[in-house]
Amino acid sequence: MKKIDRIIEEIDRLKPVSHIGEKIMEVTSNPDSSLSDLVDIVKYDQGMTANLLRICNSAYFGLAKEIASIKQAVAYLGIDKVASLAIMGNSSDNFREAQEGYDLNEGELWRYSVSSALISQDLAEKKHLNNISLIFTSALVKDIGKVILNTYVKDSFEAINMAVQNKGLTFIDAEKEVIGIDHAELGARVAEYWNFSPAMVNIIRNHHHPENASDEDLAIPIVHLADCICMMMGRGVGSDGLAYRYYQDAVDRLNFSDIDLQETMVGFTEKFEDIEELISLSGGQ
Amino acid sequence: MNLIVGVGDMKVSNDPESVLLTYSLGSCIGLAIYDPVVKVGGLLHYMLPESNIDVQKAKKNPFMFGDTGIPSLFKDTYKFGAKKNRLKIIVVGGSQILDQKGLFNIGKRNHTVLRKMFWKNNAMIDFEDVGGSVNRTLKLEIKTGQAWLKVSGTEMKKI
Repeated sequence: MKKIDRIIEEIDRLKPVSHIGEKIMEVTSNPDSSLSDLVDIVKYDQGMTANLLRICNSAYFGLAKEIASIKQAVAYLGIDKVASLAIMGNSSDNFREAQEGYDLNEGELWRYSVSSALISQDLAEKKHLNNISLIFTSALVKDIGKVILNTYVKDSFEAINMAVQNKGLTFIDAEKEVIGIDHAELGARVAEYWNFSPAMVNIIRNHHHPENASDEDLAIPIVHLADCICMMMGRGVGSDGLAYRYYQDAVDRLNFSDIDLQETMVGFTEKFEDIEELISLSGGQ
Repeated sequence: MNLIVGVGDMKVSNDPESVLLTYSLGSCIGLAIYDPVVKVGGLLHYMLPESNIDVQKAKKNPFMFGDTGIPSLFKDTYKFGAKKNRLKIIVVGGSQILDQKGLFNIGKRNHTVLRKMFWKNNAMIDFEDVGGSVNRTLKLEIKTGQAWLKVSGTEMKKI
């Protein structure tokens, strides 16, 4: 068996997305979905409902009133956001462990995933996009490939690092050159295996290559930019450092000014403690 | 005791038991200063170069910005008796993502604002490791003034 096939076979060792998580994603990818569809899915799972309400009531959202039901949560935060949070509250399982190959301690990959999803959501809201839940969820799980590739990166770290230092490759291109597959491509394969929507697979596959996005697609540039902002702020950055490429043309398509982006960084930093609380409520630490 | 300095944060101490530590400097700058005579040290981790993007927020948290954080760091160590001409100064961070150009190249701008302020105020840097596409961690021991630097992909080293 070829090495890449062996790596892809390891997708099976990931904890699969729960049935309920799958259902929520189905609802959010359907433009005709309604509040009652979401309530119907969540209401039979008491643990999930309670956790979702705790998340919605966390300081990050700064709601003046305590929310007591999913219906109320949707009224205050919107169906898109509540669905995103339901997925977040249900997705941390694969992301919690330490990833030694990437030099990330326990909890750091999840902390990074949530941060990147929140920044993506913030940028998408500023652009008034209508697929915010898709963007949030894709940003949240975009590095699932790292969970599998981690052991291979650890074994080949010297060679990957040499390719970055001496050949000027990005870390992700070096992964592909040395191991045969990179974490974004592997993540896309996982997403396909789990029957995620083609739009989500596409974002995961190209989050480091937004030049592949079609001209009208703003989701990929947003997730790419949010990822770059996280790296700049040192969120979830490990042995790969900032050795990725910044695609100015793709980012320019979003029409953000330098000040907009700096304000995003300030807003995130100001909410730092609330974000930490949100990360822990969503299954991190 | 480790005193962790977060993003947009600063700590100053003369407690010989304390160690100032900041993780994960990407495009941010970690600035450590230490006076070996009065044994006081400070560590600043600022994120953006200039506070004029939001003066109100800079008043609330001056440590987010270079132009407000750097003077605060020096002033706070002076309160403990530090003198500028004795300070050992360490500057690390300011990394860039590859091909990052123009205004949003925050790493480079963070470094530039520091160089300008130091030039104006005659402050000399003793150790500097800035730029590239790496991630850095900086540590300063108050008892001895010994500092350590970890660059992504390598082990922690004394500097």
